[in-house]
Parts: sequence; structure tokens; C-alpha cells
Amino acid sequence: MIFSEIYGTYFKAVSAILSKAVDGVLTERELTRTVLENAFGESLVTIPAKLTDGSWPLITKDYGTPLQHKPHMPLTTLEKQWLKALLLDPRIRLFDPSEEGLEDVEPLFTPDQFVYFDRYADGDPYGDPRYIEHFRMILRAMHEKRKLRVRFHGHRGTRKSYVCIPYRLEYSSKDDKFRLLTGFRNKPLTVNLSRIDSVQILGPWEESEYSLPRETEKTLVMELEDSRNALERAMLHFSDLEKETERIDDKRYRITLHYRQGDETEILIRILSFGPVLKVIEPETMVAQIRERLAKQMALMAGES
Amino acid sequence: MAYSELIKNFEKIRDYMREFYIYGFKSRDDYTKKSARSYDDERRRIESWLGGYMAFRHTGEGKNVFISVDNRSVTFNPLHNAWKAKSFTDKDIVLHFCILDLLADGTARSVSELSDGVAAYLSHTDTPFEVDESTVRKKLKEYAQLGILRSEKAGKSLLYRITGNEVALSSWADATAYYSEEAPFGVIGSYLLDRQQEAPEHFSYKHHYLLHTLDTQIMFDALCAMKEKRCVDIVNFSSRRDAEYEHRVYPLRFYLSTQTGREYLLAYHYRFRKPMFFRLDTIRSIKAGPVETRHEKYEGYAAKFDESLWGVSTGSDYSIDHVELTIRVGDDEGYILDRLEREKRHGRIESIDSHTYKFVADVYDAGELLMWARSFIGRVVRFESDNSFAVSRFYGDLRRMAEMYGGDES
Repeated sequence: MIFSEIYGTYFKAVSAILSKAVDGVLTERELTRTVLENAFGESLVTIPAKLTDGSWPLITKDYGTPLQHKPHMPLTTLEKQWLKALLLDPRIRLFDPSEEGLEDVEPLFTPDQFVYFDRYADGDPYGDPRYIEHFRMILRAMHEKRKLRVRFHGHRGTRKSYVCIPYRLEYSSKDDKFRLLTGFRNKPLTVNLSRIDSVQILGPWEESEYSLPRETEKTLVMELEDSRNALERAMLHFSDLEKETERIDDKRYRITLHYRQGDETEILIRILSFGPVLKVIEPETMVAQIRERLAKQMALMAGES
Repeated sequence: MAYSELIKNFEKIRDYMREFYIYGFKSRDDYTKKSARSYDDERRRIESWLGGYMAFRHTGEGKNVFISVDNRSVTFNPLHNAWKAKSFTDKDIVLHFCILDLLADGTARSVSELSDGVAAYLSHTDTPFEVDESTVRKKLKEYAQLGILRSEKAGKSLLYRITGNEVALSSWADATAYYSEEAPFGVIGSYLLDRQQEAPEHFSYKHHYLLHTLDTQIMFDALCAMKEKRCVDIVNFSSRRDAEYEHRVYPLRFYLSTQTGREYLLAYHYRFRKPMFFRLDTIRSIKAGPVETRHEKYEGYAAKFDESLWGVSTGSDYSIDHVELTIRVGDDEGYILDRLEREKRHGRIESIDSHTYKFVADVYDAGELLMWARSFIGRVVRFESDNSFAVSRFYGDLRRMAEMYGGDES
């Protein structure tokens, strides 16, 4: 059963409240705070009332509890089965979790039951011991809040070396690649993990040093003509980006997309792939790039005919 | 019935969340299928679960409500929250904490011992809170099925004991954070993360689609049938015909798109006698049927079928289209050839000369390659296929685009 109250936010919040009651530190204020930290926006009108009006008599009038232990729920079979399934994924070697306790359950699913039919074919080498070592070292540096020296080779084979603070490991399911997001001299730096030659963990970073330079955000506006089910296709396709959509009339929509500057070419290609149902209105620089590509295309076609 | 932010039936909010997330331009009046009261309640619930991810805009048509997420910035899918809003009774929550507490020391106890223990725990309250033995028994049975408790016979009576929690969850923390976003049934990872003091926020995601979490139960029901080699009865909604249809099929595999987030079930259709795809987000329900004794035959179809699939379309008649896409690659543009190599599915690449390459494939539906072919605009020498409709659409679209952008004025 996937949809069950035992995994729910209310049970989680009440568990946190009862833990405090067992410790003898629960007060009315602490109860409110725990609900705010653990539950939904409107839970504050429900959970404290239920606990104090006798509907859920789990705490006493003086904010104690008849329970003897801090609440603890063992893992369900479903949770164990999901973990067991992960052990069959090649990327699990990057993490090296303990398999203990999963001996008696079957995996929830197996990799052959899923086909990622449009994933690119040149994914990262998850079985390569050097790749695994680099991944783990970066993750360790993140946990320990330490800097890294990363040596890697760029797209044109140039060797580079940076001392940096690791900010995030970014994964793309489409590319099947991990990238290290970091910064250098106030500029964002993205390093493909498969291009890393060596990683060295250095000393801790100061809080004042930790601010990832943000990549420049860009915005484009395009018009969509809803033929060939274009509205639904485009809405889903671009749902990985922050966007706003307005209806112009029954068949036309105006879409504003927000993207990172570094992704401009990719965004352009994605828009072009929709054909004439999407038309970029602004910025003019992108319109000009599309015109240029179309002109090249028409010239190629003219040469062929 | 008084409003509650919790829900009993997940199906009720699936459509609303999808509409708020995907479209975002609809106003209250556009949600005509349900009553205005229903719209108000569901909007309020979703707002409560998602907090800051809900946004509003006032237009001439009214107030538009939408879910706004920069997927690249989020470390955890906020839509998982919907799965954590299951309603329950007062007895459910009280029994949950009392029973687990009474069994926390590892001792096995009988139903009557546990019932007495619960009564003793609740004796402090002035408000009567009656819990009878049959309710306790039912809850114990449910928890044993979930794997939280295990039952054992002691003479004539049945005893319950808490299951040992031998999994070292701390060693799984990073893996759980990552796979909660990237593995099927990621919401289970989200449940596991909720058990930890703090979930590690070391991962972010590009090309990250969030909506599929809403179809987790449908995928789960199909998976359970697959594991037991059962056929299933699917109720599928056709938006084209605005109606629901029932299909009896044998489930084979899931096809997941990393470029749109769409998820499909590939299944053998008994009546139509062929493999077919069903989008998980249009399936309303899946009910398991009898065990299929000829499952090996149908599973063999799946492997064979995959050999000529570009995406998830079989065209109108399951015939094979031959496709050739010829691309011009300039000096220092090796990356275009790399693109061809990594993005092609099936098929092969032939070198015509040092600047010209041809992708050749035989697929069910040449029309499915059009999006990919258009991504090479500016370099396409020829797009050829025995599917003349696909060819004429490709060239027709190019001419329309050239007109649309006003030709080469730069």
C-alpha cells in the first residue's frame, strides 16, 4: 500500500510531538512549533486541537504522555523492498550502502521492467573505480564542509585545476550524467564528473565563503498554436523549467520560460524541435539565431533541389 | 462534511494537481467537471501541502492558480507531499502510537494484553475513548501485513512482536535522497527521508520532471500484476473522445521518457491482439485479473517489439517505416556527430563524406523522428522515408517556420 497514513505528515508530526513529551520538554509553544516544522500549512488548526481536546488522548493535560518510549516505527516491507531494488541499479555503487536487513525481502522492481527509451547513450561510467572514488570524495567533502582541488580536462582537452567549494552534485536523467556544481572567482563552474582526473579534499570552508555564484537567469517569450495537441505536449516537455502560460484566445497561448544562460542552445534546439507550433517572440537575439538556422536550412534545401 | 486538508481518495486530487502544475492558465470557471465547492476545497488542500510553490495571477478571465517550481533548484519533489495527506480515524492514530509503544521493548504480546495496555494508556483522559479488542486485532493484522509487526503462535493464542529494524538507514541517507528523485516509486524514498532528522541536500537535478509521482499508485498496481503474471483490467481516459474505456491487457514493461516525464505501460491487448502503450497519467484504475499461463509468449513479444520502436508510437498499422536523415557537419563540429551517436535510438550512422553523415533506421512510426530531425535544423541535407506523410510534414513545417520568422533578414 503506497497511500497510507502511517507515512503521512500528521503521523510524522505527532511522532515528533510525542518524542518531546517523552523527554519532558513539550509545552504549548513547543507543540505549535513542532507542528509548524513538520506538517502542512493548515495543520496548525487541527493537530494541537485534536491532541488537547481528547480526540487523540496521547498527551496529558500537563503536556506529558502515557507513552514510555520515543515513537519508533520499523521499516515496512514496502520500504525494504524499494531499498532492495536500488541494489540492482548500477549507480548504487556510488553510495555503498549497507545491505544488512534486506536479506529476506524481494526487490520491489527489477531494472528490466523499465525502459528509459529517450535517454542518451553516452551516460557516465558508473562501474569505473576512479569515477566512483571521485564521486565519493566529492560527497564526503560536502558532508564535512571542506574544499576540494579538482583537476579535470575541458571539452577541448585542456587540463584545468581549481580549488573550490562543492555545492551540489547535479544529475540529468536525460544525459545520464552527474555534474559538480561549484564556483570559482565569483563565477559558476560546472564540471562533468566523467571529465575529472583527480579530486583532493582540502581544509574546511568558512560560512562567509559559501555562496554559489548564480548563473544568469534568462527569460524568453513564445507563442504556441494549439494544433497537433501542441499545448499538452509543450506544457509537459517544458515542465522541467519555471514557466508562466497565458491564454490569448482559443487556439493561441503565450508562454514565458525561465532558463539558465548556459542552457540557451539546448533551449533553442528544444523549441525548434516543436516546429511551427511554437514561435519565439523575444528576446530578439534568440529570434535572430532561429532565423539564421532556418536560412542555413533553406539554403541546404535549395542546394538539394 | 467539514473540510479537512487530508484526503481519503488520491484519485480525487490527481487531475487538479496535474492541471495546476502543467497548465496554470485556467481560472475557476474552467474547472467545469466538478462543482465550484470541490474546486475550492482541492485548491485549498494543495495550497496547504505545497505552501510556497503555489502561485496566483489575476487575468481578465479571473484568478489563475498554478504550481510554480524551478525544478533545477529543488532537491526534493514537492509534489510527493500529496502522498502524505491520507486521512485516518482518531482510533487509527491513537492505536498506532500506543501499540508500537507497548511493543517497543521487543516482547511478544497477545491481543488482549495489548487491548488492556491501550486502555491503561488512555485512562488519564476525562473524555471516554473506547477501543474494543476486535479493533485492536484488526490493526495488529494490518500492521503485520505492512511488515511493521510479526505474528507468532503461542499455544492457542496469537502473539505480536515488533519487527527488528536491522537496516542501517544512515548508510542509505545519500542514496535515498538521490533515488527519491530518480528511481521509480521515488515517493517511498521520500517516506524514508522523513524518518531521518535531516535529509541530505547534496543533489540537484536537470531535466527533472516531477509530475509522474501522481501516477505512482497506478504504476504500483500494474507492477504487482506483472510480478504475479496476471492480466489486468484497465480503465483508461481518452481525452480525444472525452470518455473512459476498459481494456483487458497483459502488462509487460514501463516506458519512461527522460525528455517529457511521461510514463507509459506497454501491455499486450487481448482483444486487439497486439502490444499497445497506455499513458499512466490517463489510466484511472487498474484491477488485477487471473494469472496468464501464456506469459512467456507475450513477454517475448515485448523484446521483439522494442527493436523497431523510436518512442512509444506504433503508427496506425504497425508496419515498418524506413527513415534516412542526412546531416551536414562543418569543420570543427565533431560535437554534431557526437549528438547523432548519443541521441539515436536503434539504427546506424553511415559516413557519406568527411562532412556528411546519414542516420538510417527502420521504425514503426517515422513521424516520431520529426522532433529529433527538427533539432538539427540548419544542417539537414535530406529527410527521406517511405512514410510520405512524415516527409511532407517535415518539409512543410520547415517552409512554414521560414515564413513565420520572416526569412533571412539578418
